[in-house]
Amino acid sequence: MKDAEQNCCCAGSHAAIRIRNLNVKIGAVSILENVSAEVPRGMCTAVVGPNGAGKTTLTRAILDDIPYRGEIAFGDSSGGYSRKKPRFGYVPQKLNFDRDMPLTVTEFLAGGLVRRPVFFGISGKFRKLCLDYLTEVECGHLAGRSLGALSGGELQRVLLAQALMQNPEILILDEPAAGVDFKGEQLCCELLEKFRRKLGFTQLMISHDLSMVAAHAEHVICINRRVYAEGVPSEVLTSDALSATFGLHMGMVKYDKHGVGCKTCAKQS
Amino acid sequence: MCETILDFFCSLAGALPFECMKLRFMQEAFLGVLLTAPLAAAAGIQVVNFRMSFFSDAIGHSAFAGVALGLIFGISPDWTMPLLALVIGIGIMAMKQRSALSSDTVIGVFFSAVVAFGLALVSRNPNVSRDMQMFLYGDILTVTRSDLFFLFLLFCVFFAFQIFAYNRLNAIGLHEQLARTHRIHTAFYQYVYVALLSLVVIFSVKSAGVLLVTALLIVPAAAARNFSKSSGMMFWISIAIGVCSGIAGLLISAQPWAETASGATIVLCACAVFCVSLLSGALKGKKS
Repeated sequence: MKDAEQNCCCAGSHAAIRIRNLNVKIGAVSILENVSAEVPRGMCTAVVGPNGAGKTTLTRAILDDIPYRGEIAFGDSSGGYSRKKPRFGYVPQKLNFDRDMPLTVTEFLAGGLVRRPVFFGISGKFRKLCLDYLTEVECGHLAGRSLGALSGGELQRVLLAQALMQNPEILILDEPAAGVDFKGEQLCCELLEKFRRKLGFTQLMISHDLSMVAAHAEHVICINRRVYAEGVPSEVLTSDALSATFGLHMGMVKYDKHGVGCKTCAKQS
Repeated sequence: MCETILDFFCSLAGALPFECMKLRFMQEAFLGVLLTAPLAAAAGIQVVNFRMSFFSDAIGHSAFAGVALGLIFGISPDWTMPLLALVIGIGIMAMKQRSALSSDTVIGVFFSAVVAFGLALVSRNPNVSRDMQMFLYGDILTVTRSDLFFLFLLFCVFFAFQIFAYNRLNAIGLHEQLARTHRIHTAFYQYVYVALLSLVVIFSVKSAGVLLVTALLIVPAAAARNFSKSSGMMFWISIAIGVCSGIAGLLISAQPWAETASGATIVLCACAVFCVSLLSGALKGKKS
């Protein structure tokens, strides 16, 4: 716990994303009001809040996908901030797509990365690369499968592989565990933990699941149209902050840092 | 130069062992099919996968207004039709991106506007309505040399773009926001694709007619979708079905026992393949 706090202080000086006075309106409805927050570099930050709190809107503003007022700046390696977008990896909440469309997992991965059209065949080199990444997310057997035939958890991991193949500086996940059972969720979090340590990207995830946040996040932002609390989980996930954010009485979430059963953490400690 | 090349290909077509292929206009129509069918079938892949058949229908129906415009300004419809199709196609795309309306509403508005405009102009001049019939049903047999030349040009540009952009278009069709965050210039690909699709549709109107032009695009692709498991395979199967049904349809329509409209016969052949593909799809479904 001490470690986490120290990390947070260091990161506070130079964040990966710095948000200042962010306001987003869709039509006449104000979705986000005066949001200021920071996402520390190289760590796992979770955004929590009730439905309709503007969590997805916040990520869309960061991805520059919707118009907003305010400032979103990205920390660069030299210690300064700029508006230049870093390389993003993105895993959407739901992929609403035509499940009957003939498209294999490897072809899907080739979509944004390979120029040679898939009707001229996929090079052996790229096939190998795909297989490597898919094996890392424990989906090696899915390479030749049709994308539409995957289960929710499998699709989630394929999307994660695609995001990782972008070699992201910032990885944004919208509810990575939604629609995935407990085991899938545990696996997903452990995989992310492993990759973050290996590749050193900054991770920003939206989550509903407070116990998962308590176990895996190092920095938490509670929002419900505006920021109600921000900081390390042990300080933020308190009864007061949560009832303010969610608008009802909530007890303290049991707080175990990288909870029991998280293999990656067990190995680390 | 162009003439000699055309003569050469016509004589090649004439060497086919069919009585009807001895006629020059049949040879030119045959070349027209060889260019139009793969174009329409390849464009149809994205039309089917991205659910754009209503869009291509709207472009096809802009042919009336295109002809009418040509008549007003005294310009050949060969120019006004593709130009209007481009304007309508890009207009629909631009409006779709800027307004909150759903895409079928946007297309519906454009659709009715161009059809109403064309009909209004035609109704002022009853003599024109005979010309309009030609576009309603289409006739590959009336394909001219300049048509062949433009088709060839479009063929080269369209397939060059497909080679350049096929993977990116797949990614955009699957999930636009995801493609954008992964640094694909979605707007560029979408506009170029829509522009080329508009041209393919309007050039296909000549052979299949306004009523059937969408069928020429989507039926081979829809059949290919049932046959294939991967996107790369679908591309080739769709083109193969398009070309085979095109040639078969043209030859059948020229037989003395048939004497049917060529465009309709081509579409019927493609539909027959589609029926077979349904069976194959059902078998595939049982296995998996």
